[in-house]
Amino acid sequence: MATTESIQKAYIDFVLTEGEQPKSVYVFAKKNKMAEEEFYRFFGSFDAIEQSVWTDLANKALIEIKEQEIWAQYSAREKALSFFYSFFELLKSSRSFAVYSIKKQPRTLSSPRVLDGLKDVFEAFAENILNEGIETAELSDRKFFSKRYKDALWIQFGFVLNFWINDNSAGFEKTDEAIEKGVNVTFDLFQRSPIDNLFEYGKFLAKNGGIKEKMGFGTF
Amino acid sequence: MIDNTSKEQNSIPTTKVERSAKFVKTGIKIGGNYIKHYSKKLFNPDMDKSELNEDNATDIYKSLSELKGSALKVAQMLSMDKNLLPQAYVDKFTQSQYNAPPLSGPLIVQTFKKYFGKTPDQIYDKFNIRSSNAASIGQVHQAELNGKKLAVKIQYPGVGDSISSDLKLIKPFAFRMLGMSEKELDIYMSEVEERLLEETDYELEVRRSIEFSEACVNLNNIVFPQYYPQLSSKRIITMDWLEGKHLREFLATNPSQESRDLIGQALWDFYNFQQHELRAVHADPHPGNFMITTDGKLGAIDFGCIKEMPDNFYYPFFALTSTNLFDDKEETIKAFRRLEMILPNDTPAQIEFYYTMFKHMITLFAKPYITDLFDFGETAFFDELFGFGEKVSKMPEFKQARGAKHFIYVNRTNFGLYNILHELKARVKTDTYKPHVEVVV
Repeated sequence: MATTESIQKAYIDFVLTEGEQPKSVYVFAKKNKMAEEEFYRFFGSFDAIEQSVWTDLANKALIEIKEQEIWAQYSAREKALSFFYSFFELLKSSRSFAVYSIKKQPRTLSSPRVLDGLKDVFEAFAENILNEGIETAELSDRKFFSKRYKDALWIQFGFVLNFWINDNSAGFEKTDEAIEKGVNVTFDLFQRSPIDNLFEYGKFLAKNGGIKEKMGFGTF
Repeated sequence: MIDNTSKEQNSIPTTKVERSAKFVKTGIKIGGNYIKHYSKKLFNPDMDKSELNEDNATDIYKSLSELKGSALKVAQMLSMDKNLLPQAYVDKFTQSQYNAPPLSGPLIVQTFKKYFGKTPDQIYDKFNIRSSNAASIGQVHQAELNGKKLAVKIQYPGVGDSISSDLKLIKPFAFRMLGMSEKELDIYMSEVEERLLEETDYELEVRRSIEFSEACVNLNNIVFPQYYPQLSSKRIITMDWLEGKHLREFLATNPSQESRDLIGQALWDFYNFQQHELRAVHADPHPGNFMITTDGKLGAIDFGCIKEMPDNFYYPFFALTSTNLFDDKEETIKAFRRLEMILPNDTPAQIEFYYTMFKHMITLFAKPYITDLFDFGETAFFDELFGFGEKVSKMPEFKQARGAKHFIYVNRTNFGLYNILHELKARVKTDTYKPHVEVVV
């Protein structure tokens, strides 16, 4: 009897051995001794299998980090770091598949389609910890921008993923460094910074007159 | 790059603050180089990294050559100008590591999971995720297991990798700047690289720490923490937590001459026992690697950098310091040749010059060994030492390096030791562990 896992496994094995997707669901189903319709009970297409592998990894990483005793003491920044580390640690066991899956995606500005499911999980998680961070004043609540924080984290995630794919250091130590530095920089930007002060100073000047006239807007 | 030479020599940062500022500046510049690189790459994806490497090396080298003189006055004495590059690199390397931001909690957990398959909470009864202080290439955490207080040292990721790549990066520029042949420079570079890489191998450090603390167990007034190999790995070391004060804190309490002498003596015995009995020495006499325990003893905590002294270096060198060899000029020159301080192609005039200079240097260096009791608080001795170092560093004859590669770390060790003893203003019995050399003349 086929299961989600058994189909995922058979599919990964196929693409890694053959270097490409099966010609059709029919071929794939026949090779794995099941009826084509049984396949569709689990997945609508091959791409859906790939998506599910990525999503499952993200969910597994989330379960793992939340089980750690220290989790409750972590700040938003540390929670994000923790997810990155655990995710890439888990991804190690499926590295060949991950490299295959990402490399065959067309190079576009938006994130690859296979990561759609993972992106939903990631964004839900990011939104959660970011809100927590804003509530505890760890992060700065900025009009318009705080809603975009999760997008910045997602971009960071894409960057690390690409870095990891091209990383050939022993034990992927360089990726650890990339996570440590990258996520920290991103969170530094979310924190209250000189830019906020500059912005507020500008607001103050604008409210308290002088600046409009000096800048030539006085004639309005 | 080449036409900068004269410019660099004009601005030597003098104070420690200025020096660290220099490194920070270099760091920012290098960061800038990466930004430059990636923004260019955005428009031209085919661009490779060679331009980036050039930019980085230029900036690293510039900061190194500006440091020359101030930071390295003492080491210059015997190691001479050419050794400065690796020596400067050693200093730069440790400095920049001190500036590294602390590892995040999740990265610490990740490191433990990588090496033990468990989180620190599962290994120790208590583990403080916030580090208590920085070690040279990592950071130290406090932990507890079975009622014992432990120090857990965790190494920053990627340190080993960056040593080799940074040294490679700097090499071509060093050739050009110092006008040395690749072969000459390689000897010194590989010596430094070897030591630095050893320092990143925590498994080796644990083995050596156990060996050395066992070998030194009979020395008076010095204690070592116990090490736990089963709780250590390539990037983690677990050892006992030593309670006490760092050297600077100890000095701030205005200790009596008696207790300063006691610590100084323990330090002297520790180093000379290693040099002359073990022929391998803890080559990083940095004040941060020692502490004064609550019961007034010296605690030694870091065996990351060990320099072994081969016979072909040990015998000629200590024969010079500790026998009457200097009475015989021919024999002295022979020893200088064995130590590569006088080279096969030197002209008679050069031989005469280097003979006089090196003899003067070593006589100065050996002064504490001559009398049985030496007062390291005596500033006249250090003024003479620094003055001579300064003079030598300005001599064109010492532009080219001389001396066996072993001098780099042996000098670092001995001058480091002298410096700490000077800070302690300790009076030390210097005849406790004598060199094993025969009087030859």
